[in-house]
Amino acid sequence: MSLSLQTRNSRRRWLGWLALPAAMASVLYGVGSGSVPLTVTEIVQVLFGDGTAVHESIVWNIRLPRVLVCLLAGACLAASGALLQGVLRNPLADPGIIGVSAGGGLAAVIALVLFPQFGYLLPGFAFAGALIAALAIYLLAWDGGSSPVKIVLAGIAVNALLGAVMNGIMVLNSDRIQSVIPWLAGGFSGRSWPHLQFMLPYALVGLALTPFAAKTSNLLMLGDQSAQSLGQHVERQRFLIVALASLLAGAAVSVAGLIGFVGLIVPHAVRLFIGDDYRFLLPFSIAGGAALTVIADTAARSWFDPLELPAGILLAAIGAPFFLILLKRRRLLR
Amino acid sequence: MAIHINELTYEQERFGLQAADVGIPKGKMTAIVGRNGSGKSTLLRLIARLTKPDSGSIQYEGEPGEAYDRRTFARLVSVLSQEKGAMPDMTVRELVALGRAPRQSAFRSRLTPEDDQAVDRALSVMGVRHLEDRLVHSLSGGEQQKVRIAMSLAQESPIMLLDEPTTYLDMSHQLELMETLKRLNRQMGLTIVMVLHDLQQAAAYCDHLIAMDDGRIAASGPPREVIDRRFMLSVFGVVARIEFGGDYPVIVPIPQQTEEENKMVIVTNVSQITKGNGMKLIERFNKVGKVEGMKGFLGLEVMLTENTKEYDEVTVSTKWESKEDFQAWTRSEAFRESHAHRQTPDYILSNKISFYDVLVVRKPLDLEEQTEQAEQQIV
Repeated sequence: MSLSLQTRNSRRRWLGWLALPAAMASVLYGVGSGSVPLTVTEIVQVLFGDGTAVHESIVWNIRLPRVLVCLLAGACLAASGALLQGVLRNPLADPGIIGVSAGGGLAAVIALVLFPQFGYLLPGFAFAGALIAALAIYLLAWDGGSSPVKIVLAGIAVNALLGAVMNGIMVLNSDRIQSVIPWLAGGFSGRSWPHLQFMLPYALVGLALTPFAAKTSNLLMLGDQSAQSLGQHVERQRFLIVALASLLAGAAVSVAGLIGFVGLIVPHAVRLFIGDDYRFLLPFSIAGGAALTVIADTAARSWFDPLELPAGILLAAIGAPFFLILLKRRRLLR
Repeated sequence: MAIHINELTYEQERFGLQAADVGIPKGKMTAIVGRNGSGKSTLLRLIARLTKPDSGSIQYEGEPGEAYDRRTFARLVSVLSQEKGAMPDMTVRELVALGRAPRQSAFRSRLTPEDDQAVDRALSVMGVRHLEDRLVHSLSGGEQQKVRIAMSLAQESPIMLLDEPTTYLDMSHQLELMETLKRLNRQMGLTIVMVLHDLQQAAAYCDHLIAMDDGRIAASGPPREVIDRRFMLSVFGVVARIEFGGDYPVIVPIPQQTEEENKMVIVTNVSQITKGNGMKLIERFNKVGKVEGMKGFLGLEVMLTENTKEYDEVTVSTKWESKEDFQAWTRSEAFRESHAHRQTPDYILSNKISFYDVLVVRKPLDLEEQTEQAEQQIV
């Protein structure tokens, strides 16, 4: 069975119409769920300033900022993963491969374990660590020019090194790692306006730049030589796209910790439906990543009430089997 | 000339390329041919400006390559590289539309009506219009190659470079592809330059050949002028019979009468003899005898040199499969008998024995004779 451009375009159209309502619905679900469930009407009332004081407090101080952080972080991670898979021509690429997770993780551990007095600077530390690691990997892979394979290999090596240092610090300071573990597992517990404020500028700038990477990503998928003979400055563009992906992932990691799953799986799931064309892949990945992360975080905190799971764990636990089913059905989808 | 190459050099660790003055005629089909590793793909990559030469320059339509930025160059020259790995999950039409990239602004990806027309034309010319909605990787190898060429065509560049476009294709698709390229060349006036593995194909379809040998341009010109027996032997290392029947050359490679690599030991015994007595020694050698029956004996040659002033020189060389075989002979009864009871004759001034370990790689080749033999076999 073959899939025509028409089928694909119609699928893109209805998915396009679905994406925004889905994201909105996920926000409502996120804001509405919790130990004090809120109905849609109540939420709308609160948003328009008509709610009760308790509801106002719950929505404005607790749930809404957290949902917005999820929304942004999910969008950034998915966009970053989609960009990296294309520019590195590697289906297994995700923000982790360019060292963003390991670099951010190490910086966070250093901040929390060695300098606990600066704990409030954690997002800044993680963000800087993520970008430095990404840059280091790019420089290590540089040999008169970069190549996707070298970047991936340098990424694996640097990840291993940073991971070793991070684990070493944690073992040596095992009495003080309690505060680090939830962050490493990836989650949104206690995230509020300051976190949103921190990541917002980077996330918005990054997301606003993604449309400009769409066409180039399409061409880079064809291979370096083909892209170059289509008039592209391959090296420059690859660097810019990797930098953009690092910025996006760094912004997400800085507040959400190590959530690895969204960046890998969401773009793939989207690809299965609408193909590799980045003009469509990027916006759909962004919407999908945002909605999925909000839903996962909400489920993680409300299903096990009064306990709360880190969203990263739930994402992996539910997302992985779901993705495997998608892969198995791949033929049918085409 | 669409392209002119001036004194190009390009050095790599184990490979160097030098190309002196050579031109690629405009509106013609040119093939770059040569053995594996002769540098033909490297030359194409240099022409495509995918690699930078160490020195020298290439002119395109009279302008040096450096005068073009990437995008304007892409509007002049399209390249179909051998990269096979990347076939994105896209429909044929989407992929071919990517060929419009050099004619669009950097970030604009919406197609203008003009873009759409160019894509339509490219699809039609390559005969893949009916496949436009199919996913690229659901197509056969031959169809994929046509789609890739359609992408290059959508670029609408007057010069098209192709790196071994027929590799991976079966024979009928190869022929179909070459016919299509010929049609593009004749109807649209495209200058086509391609690396081809098959010389016969190259000679049949191309107006111009550039033959590479060990990083150098060994010959260039129309196939009829370039291809002959000497060319076949020096560029391809093949003895062949060549006939031009109409436009199509028939090149029949003839298996060479080479022996497998052979090891042997040659023992030479060089004696200086007083003038005029050379024949005496040779007569004496004849009596030593019985060497022919020895194990490992391969042959015997006796040479007499008479043109030196002071002495004659007699060289007796025997060929053996191994040194041990020779030594076995010197210990044999026959050898001892012939040497034991004789005094060294006084006409021998000096005597020198040398051993040579010899590797016979190929027997001397008589081109004409072998060709004739082979022709008789074919008849």
